[in-house]
Amino acid sequence: MINIFSQLMMEANKSLYGLTIDPQNASKGPVVLGNGDFFIEIPVAFGCAFSDLTLTGANGTALPTAAELIDKGIETGVGSRMCNAIKVASYYLEAGLISKPDMIITSNSCCDSMTTLGILMNGYKPWADVPKFTMDAPHSFDEESYLYFGHQLRNAVTFMETVTGRKMDWDRLREVCVESNKQRQLLLEFQELKKAVPCPTEPDLARQGTEYTTWTSDRVTPTVTAWLEQLVTATEQRVKEGKGIDGVNEKVRFLWQDLAGSWASGTVLARLQKELGAVCLMDYVSYATWTPIDLSSEETMFTSFGKRFLLEDAMNRQALHTADLFCNDILQIVKEFKCDAVIMPAHIGHRDTNSRMKIVRDLCREHGIPCLVLGMDIWDKRYMTPEVVFDRMKTFFEVSGLI
Amino acid sequence: MRSGLKSDIFEKFAALAGSISNSEVEGWKQQGGKVIGYTCSFVPEELFVAAGLMPFRIRATGSLSAGRADDYFEAANICSLVRHCFNKILTGEYEFIDGCVIGGGCDANRHILDNWEKSEARIPFLHRIFFPHSSGILMAQNFRNQLENLKQLLEEHFGLKITDDKLRDAIVLCNEIRDLQKAIYALRKVDNPPITASETIALVVAGYSMPKEAYKADLTQLLEELRGVTVPENKKTVRLMVVGPGHDEPTLCDIIETMGGTVVTDLTCYGGKTLFGSVHEADPDPLQALADYQVIDRPLCPKNLDAHPIINREVMDKIKEYRVDGIIGQSYLCCETWGGELFVLQKELKEAGIPMLRIEREYTSDSLGQVQTRVQAFIETISGGLL
Repeated sequence: MINIFSQLMMEANKSLYGLTIDPQNASKGPVVLGNGDFFIEIPVAFGCAFSDLTLTGANGTALPTAAELIDKGIETGVGSRMCNAIKVASYYLEAGLISKPDMIITSNSCCDSMTTLGILMNGYKPWADVPKFTMDAPHSFDEESYLYFGHQLRNAVTFMETVTGRKMDWDRLREVCVESNKQRQLLLEFQELKKAVPCPTEPDLARQGTEYTTWTSDRVTPTVTAWLEQLVTATEQRVKEGKGIDGVNEKVRFLWQDLAGSWASGTVLARLQKELGAVCLMDYVSYATWTPIDLSSEETMFTSFGKRFLLEDAMNRQALHTADLFCNDILQIVKEFKCDAVIMPAHIGHRDTNSRMKIVRDLCREHGIPCLVLGMDIWDKRYMTPEVVFDRMKTFFEVSGLI
Repeated sequence: MRSGLKSDIFEKFAALAGSISNSEVEGWKQQGGKVIGYTCSFVPEELFVAAGLMPFRIRATGSLSAGRADDYFEAANICSLVRHCFNKILTGEYEFIDGCVIGGGCDANRHILDNWEKSEARIPFLHRIFFPHSSGILMAQNFRNQLENLKQLLEEHFGLKITDDKLRDAIVLCNEIRDLQKAIYALRKVDNPPITASETIALVVAGYSMPKEAYKADLTQLLEELRGVTVPENKKTVRLMVVGPGHDEPTLCDIIETMGGTVVTDLTCYGGKTLFGSVHEADPDPLQALADYQVIDRPLCPKNLDAHPIINREVMDKIKEYRVDGIIGQSYLCCETWGGELFVLQKELKEAGIPMLRIEREYTSDSLGQVQTRVQAFIETISGGLL
C-alpha cells in the first residue's frame, strides 16, 4: 500500500525529473538561462521561464545513459577534472541541444565549476547576440553583502525589463514572495519534525521539498505549498504516534555533508537505511535556515533576497563562505539532529569542500564525532561504485561501534 | 635557457627568482623593513608600497612535494600551485614575511586563509580580499571598500599611516615599473629576441621578490644593456605565446625553446597579465583608481565572468604585435576556470586560424616530461617541417 509519504515523493519526483533539458520546450514567455541559482521569485513574478543549465547537466547524470553523456562531456575538451554535472551541461551546449534563450544571467554561485559553465555559456558563439547579465556573489555574509547582492538582483530586474520591453509587476512579485515565505516556513516546520527520534519519515523529503520549491516548473505556486502542508501534517501525526520510518529499525543517524547527487539517494543511502538502520538525517540541500522576505519596501525586499541567496540558499551557504561557517553548521546539525556521525562525500568536483578536509576532520576529532571522508563522484558512480561506498560506510559504522 | 647575455642584473634576477627568501629580503629586514606576502595578481601591491612594506608574491619555487599541505587540501582534487605554495608556508619557508593577504580568486586559493589560521604556521597579520566575479561600477566600488578595509587593517597592525599622497607615489612607481617591463617585453617582438623566455620569467618574478625602488633601478639599467645588445643571427623559430594561470618557473618555456620554439610573450598570472595598462594617476581617489584598474580595466582572471572578451582581445592583440605563430594554453589540473577559459579561447583561435596546444599539468617541473613530446609535435606541425 502506498502511504502518504510515498505519494508525496512521487509527486515531487515527477516534477523534478520531468524537467526537460530544453527550456524552450516547457516555457511560456521569455526564457532566462542561468549557470546556477538565480533568485527564483524574480523570474516567476516576471512571467519568465528560468532554466539552470547546471541542474540540467546534473539531471543528465541521473539518466540511464549517464556514463555516455559524461564521456561525451569529457570529449568536448573542457577541463579533465571538471565536475561531471558541468561536463554533461557543456556537452548539451556544444552539441546544440539547448535552444537559444532570450537572455543569459550568470554568477559565480556557488562554485568554480559553475563559474566555468558561465564562461562557456557567455562565450558560446551561436549565442553571441543573446543579452547577458553577470553577477558577483561575494564570499561574505553581512548586511553590506546582502545590500550589494540585492542591488545586483534589482539591476537584473532592470536588465530583464530592457530585454523584454515589459515591466515588473511589483504587486505580483510581492504575491510570489508571500507564497515563497509560506513555503520556506513549512520547510522549517518539517525540519523541526525531522529532529524526532526515531526520524518520523524519509528525511530525503526535505531535499525533495527544497528542490520542488526552487527548481521545478511548479515552484512558488500553491501546488507546492499544498504539497508541503500535506507533508507537515502527515509528519506531525507520525511524531505524535512516536513512529519512525516504515520498515526501518533506526540505529544510526548521520549527516551527509555534501549533495546527495544523482545516484546516492536511491542506492547507497536507501540500502544503508534498509539494511543497517543508518538514516541520513541531513545533506547540503536540505538544511533550512530560511528567514522571511521583508516586504515592507522595495529596498528591504531586495536586501532580503540578497540574504536568502548568499546565506540561506543551502548550497551557497556551504560552498561560498568560510570554513568556520561550514564547521559551525556541522556542529549545529549534529547537535540538533542527534547525529552519530559525519560523512564527508568530498565530491571530486567540489574544490571548496576538498580544501577544508583537515579542518573538518580535526573538528570532528575534537568533538568526538566519528567522521568518514569518501572522495567520491556524486554524479558518476563509476568513480566509486555504490557497492564500494556502501561497504566503506558499513565498515566505518562498525569500526566506530555504531552498529 | 639563457641567451648568453652577460649581465650582473640578469644573474641577480635569476638568483632571486630561483629561491624564496633571498639577499634582498634579508637586507630589507636588517634595515628594519617589514615584508608582506600576497597571493593573486589582483591584490594591489601599490597599497603595500604606500605603507612602506615590501610586497612579496607567494610562489612555490623549487618545490618537490606538497606533502604537508596535502593533509589540508585533497591532493587529487586541488590545484597543485595552491598546494605547493601552502606547503612552503607550512614548512617555514615564508617565516620571513610579517603578514599575508590572500587574494580569494578561486575556491582553493581563498581557503589558504582558513587552513593557515588552523595550522601551526604562525603569521602576525593575515587577511583575505576577494576579486569580484563580474565587472562594473558596483563591483569596483565593492572592491574599493575591501581595499579601504585592508588599508585600515594595515595601518592598525603595522602602526603606520597610508596617506593619499603616499598611495599616489606608489601608483606612479608601480606604473613606471610596468612600463619598464613592457619595454623589455617589447624587445621580444623582433626576429631574434635578445632575451629568452626563462630570462623574462626570472625578470618578472624577481620583481615580486625585492624592494620596488631597487627593482626599478635594476630594470632601468637592464633595459639600457639590452638595447645595446647585438644578437647573432639565429635559425628561424616558431614564435609562441603562453596563456594560462601562474607560471613562475622556467621549465615549460625551456622545453618549448629547446624544441625549436621561441616564447615571445605570455598572458599568465605572474607575467604578462600584470603588465596590462596602467593605474590612473590623476584619479582624485587613489583607492578607487586601484579598484577600477583591477576590476574594470584589467579583469584578466577567468574567475571574473566578464573577463573573456578582454582576455580574447589581449591575446589577439599580442598575436599581431609579437607575430605569434601559435599559443600554448597551459593550466593546472583542477583549475576549472582557466580550463573553461582556454576551452572557449581555443575555439575562437581556431576560427582565426591560430593553432593552440592545450596542456593540463602539475605545478612541479618533474611532471613536464610527457609534455615535451606534445610540444615537439605542435612546433613541427606549425613549422610544416621547415625548422
